[in-house]
Amino acid sequence: MPALALPKTAAWLAELAGEPLPGRRQEDWRFTDLAPLQAVAAELWSGPDPFSQCSLPGGISRIAPAQAQLLLDQGLQATGSSAAWPVRLNRGASPHFLALRVSGSVEPLQLTFDAAAGQGLLALQLLLVLEPGASLELLLHHGSRAANATSLVTVAQLGSGAKLNLGVLAPGDARASLLSHLAISQAPASELQLTTAVGGWALSRFEPRICQSEGAALSRLRALQLVAGQELADTHSQVQFNGPDGQLDQLHKVVADGAGRSVFNGAVRVPRSAQRTNAAQLSRSLLLSDRARVDTKPELEIVADDVKCAHGATVSRLQQNELFYLQSRGIAADQASRLLLRGYCDEVLRELPAAAASAHPLQLLLRERP
Amino acid sequence: MIRPDAPLLLEIRDLHARVEDQPILKGVNLSVRAGEIHAVMGRNGSGKSTLSKLLAGHPAYSVTGGSVLFRGQDLLELQPEQRARIGVFLGFQYPVEIPGVSNLEFLRVATNARRVERGDEELDTFAFEDLVRERLKLVQMDPAFLERSVNEGFSGGEKKRNEILQMALLEPLVAILDETDSGLDIDALRIVAGGVCQLAGPDNATLLITHYQRLLDLITPDYVHVMAAGRILRTGGKELAVELERSGYDWVDQEVA
Amino acid sequence: MSTATVSDLVSQPYKHGFVTDIETEKIAKGLSEDVVRLISSKKDEPEFLLRFRLRAYRQWLQMAEPDWAALGHPRIDYQNIIYYAAPKQQEKKASLDEVDPKLLETFEKLGIPLSEQKRLSNVAVDAVFDSVSIATTYREKLAEHGVIFCSISEAVKDHPELVEKYLGSVVPGNDNYFAALNSAVFSDGSFVFIPKGVECPMELSTYFRINSADTGQFERTLIVAEEGASVSYLEGCTAPMFDTNQLHAAVVELVVLDDASIKYSTVQNWYAGDENGVGGIYNFVTKRGQCRGDRSRISWTQVETGSAITWKYPSCVLQGADSVGEFYSVALTNNYQQADTGTKMIHVGARTRSTIVSKGISAGHSSNSYRGLVQMGAKAIGAKNYSQCDSMLIGDQAAANTYPYIRSQQPDAVVEHEASTCRISADQLFYLQSRGIGFEEAVSMMVSGFCRDVFNQLPMEFAAEADKLLALKLEGSVG
Repeated sequence: MPALALPKTAAWLAELAGEPLPGRRQEDWRFTDLAPLQAVAAELWSGPDPFSQCSLPGGISRIAPAQAQLLLDQGLQATGSSAAWPVRLNRGASPHFLALRVSGSVEPLQLTFDAAAGQGLLALQLLLVLEPGASLELLLHHGSRAANATSLVTVAQLGSGAKLNLGVLAPGDARASLLSHLAISQAPASELQLTTAVGGWALSRFEPRICQSEGAALSRLRALQLVAGQELADTHSQVQFNGPDGQLDQLHKVVADGAGRSVFNGAVRVPRSAQRTNAAQLSRSLLLSDRARVDTKPELEIVADDVKCAHGATVSRLQQNELFYLQSRGIAADQASRLLLRGYCDEVLRELPAAAASAHPLQLLLRERP
Repeated sequence: MIRPDAPLLLEIRDLHARVEDQPILKGVNLSVRAGEIHAVMGRNGSGKSTLSKLLAGHPAYSVTGGSVLFRGQDLLELQPEQRARIGVFLGFQYPVEIPGVSNLEFLRVATNARRVERGDEELDTFAFEDLVRERLKLVQMDPAFLERSVNEGFSGGEKKRNEILQMALLEPLVAILDETDSGLDIDALRIVAGGVCQLAGPDNATLLITHYQRLLDLITPDYVHVMAAGRILRTGGKELAVELERSGYDWVDQEVA
Repeated sequence: MSTATVSDLVSQPYKHGFVTDIETEKIAKGLSEDVVRLISSKKDEPEFLLRFRLRAYRQWLQMAEPDWAALGHPRIDYQNIIYYAAPKQQEKKASLDEVDPKLLETFEKLGIPLSEQKRLSNVAVDAVFDSVSIATTYREKLAEHGVIFCSISEAVKDHPELVEKYLGSVVPGNDNYFAALNSAVFSDGSFVFIPKGVECPMELSTYFRINSADTGQFERTLIVAEEGASVSYLEGCTAPMFDTNQLHAAVVELVVLDDASIKYSTVQNWYAGDENGVGGIYNFVTKRGQCRGDRSRISWTQVETGSAITWKYPSCVLQGADSVGEFYSVALTNNYQQADTGTKMIHVGARTRSTIVSKGISAGHSSNSYRGLVQMGAKAIGAKNYSQCDSMLIGDQAAANTYPYIRSQQPDAVVEHEASTCRISADQLFYLQSRGIGFEEAVSMMVSGFCRDVFNQLPMEFAAEADKLLALKLEGSVG
């Protein structure tokens, strides 16, 4: 190691995580520059506990801390997350903690994490245990308006027949960072709908990791990344089928403008025990400027042979003929672009939980676009 | 047509078989002579589908007792492709799709394999194409089907007609049609039945495995066998089929019990 | 499948597994600067080439073996390899009559007769035995058209200015670990030069035969097509069965200028190791083509069925405007083989196009990975890529992995990638068998159907070979 003094924040982060910041030599971090993280003040977030204000609808109860910790660790292990750097960082930063057990069908819930109410690193841990047959619609709404960093680790366990509709709406700030790691285990016959819409952060990294512990479940992932300016948005997803008859439907969409950078790595693992898995993954990226960059790598690792696994990836710009069609109907070029863009983004945004609609997600995410 | 001195094509004696660990056939006896049309009827689970697959040599089924002679030769010791070449044909209930393998090529290779076995010359691509277009008329199929992959994207009716087309090309001695009528509408059924009748002759035999009587309205069987619990319980003429249609299978269950 | 079917299939031994008993000159094992100098002096090379080798060797010492590919292999002991072995018949003979008959017999046994009466009439062959070129057919006829086709060693003597101009210009000595090693110790390979406007009148082919057990094989091939020129080239290779692993680290460089094209086909049938994964070739190859000229084209077609470990990514750098890169590949792995192979299409120029069709077949306990990179640079306006990667899984113990990297900086460039998986099911096989088609032929039909798009790209003579080769390699793997 060179003898230079590391920037104060980098050293502090490394100490919290017990490990230095991952560098370009690690495959999973090859395209992700963590410099924006280092612009954050080297202190824990000074705002109020974001979890203290939430009121829980009927059917949701809190889990006692000792048991919650156990379930959290188990959940992280099931998806191989325990050693991931963002998870280690989160643990070291004494996160605010919320552990919920859901029984039966409950009213939709929304949690808001606005890092602007303080400064430094906001660390949060959220545990959701859905009992068999339970169903929950949850919207996580992130925000920031300064050089803050939010580190969220979400662990969810879906019991047999449970349904989780989890939406993440994350409009950020050009100086802020967001690290979000999700470790979700699904029992057979459960259904997961995970929709994430991210835009405007200097650095955002989403790591959804799904494990169908015995297969036979449905995982539906939808993601939208909007990058512009000097922003970097990174999604590293992983879906693992540990039993037969599982299903995956994943769509990842990107709009990259200005000098924005998008990174997508979507791993799908189908071991020998996962016969009759049906997995489809599609990655679509729109490049709007010639300084924007897209790095996308879908990944399939398959051993079971009686499976249907497909993935597709496209990178292009808005279709000339579509633009022209709108123009030929009297719509000005830039408005035509906006219309097409809106339609492109809507495919993902309309799958967010209903609570997101009132926040006008697209406008929110497109705020401060050059 | 029943002729007592017609050559014995298929002789099944006390046949026992199982699939995985489950015994399915528990002593089947059946003799089929040239020129005859047999119908085997029974409930699901009676063993009739197992019987047909076993005769064709499906690897999932194992024989645990008894024998099957085809023109005096032990059929059970032959590989599936060998059985096909000497003239045993199985029309599948659910013909499988084989993407990437062209229908035309598949039919040509199969036809030539049978021809070689019979001592005939192989047909080259052109001669074969002429032959197949001729045979297509029997099942009223469009030549465009030949360009597609085997059964890929075919409707149920089209798959069954493809089976009959294969019969027309391979000219088997014993054709075993496993629930060929299932899933067909009346028009497709007529085409299929028409094809079977046209191909049936004094030198070959047909074994129709079926659940319902309606196919037998179109193809008149010489013998009707009722199967239950892995054995043939009763054999009769076509009146037996009519009786089954009228009174159902309950009496069969009572006999078994 | 029924046990009768599988156990009755005789596992055919690798039929090229014989060893030719011939006197071979070798130098002691190990690698050092002295060894590099020794190789250069044995080949009587000019100064520029010795400097090329030494520079690469010194760079190799600074580099580390790459470990990011999904491969597991025991560490290669680079000091336990012989870096130079040549059949004692050193000097290339003026006529084939003078070539050691045992060598001629070897190639004939492999199906590559070299003698005038028996050779293939429309293919010129450069026969390379243990990395030394022993004969090149049809040289005079080709020379009439201005085509140079000879071994690199000869090219260095007869056309040093061409070699100096182009060698290392596509794959520099420090490009990667194995390219650096090759640049230091390469022994021989083919040199092809097609002058302006010439369409090479025959197909050119180099056939590599490894004979010695503990030598590494470091071939170097360089093909240059000047403006408006074109050539179709086929590379074939086999090796005997040994029970230790052998290292094969080759470098192939292709250069096409304006309106020129090179079609490079490989049917690779190395010894893959036995059913338990013992022995077999380690195949680490750097192959790259530069479309320097506008409207130039490079087409890579490969059928890979052998080698214990394969690491190769034939690539195209598409510099010229409207240039085209193509990659068609069938990679079959069986038993305990591992393959990590794919392509890189680097789009630099405007309106460049690339097509990738990759078919992987994984059987036994093998692992077959496609790793590709499509990169659209900032200036690649109007560029297009289409990739299709399909995997066929045979049995449930083999792995098929796909890692396509897509990097784009140019909004006016379009990238499209698709991947899917399929298998040979027992039901499909039984269906074909029940129509009189034998087990092996049925497997072969289905595999050929799967590979159709790639086989259609192979030169005609070799498409049939490829079909048979796949069928051979898959024996005993289904069921």
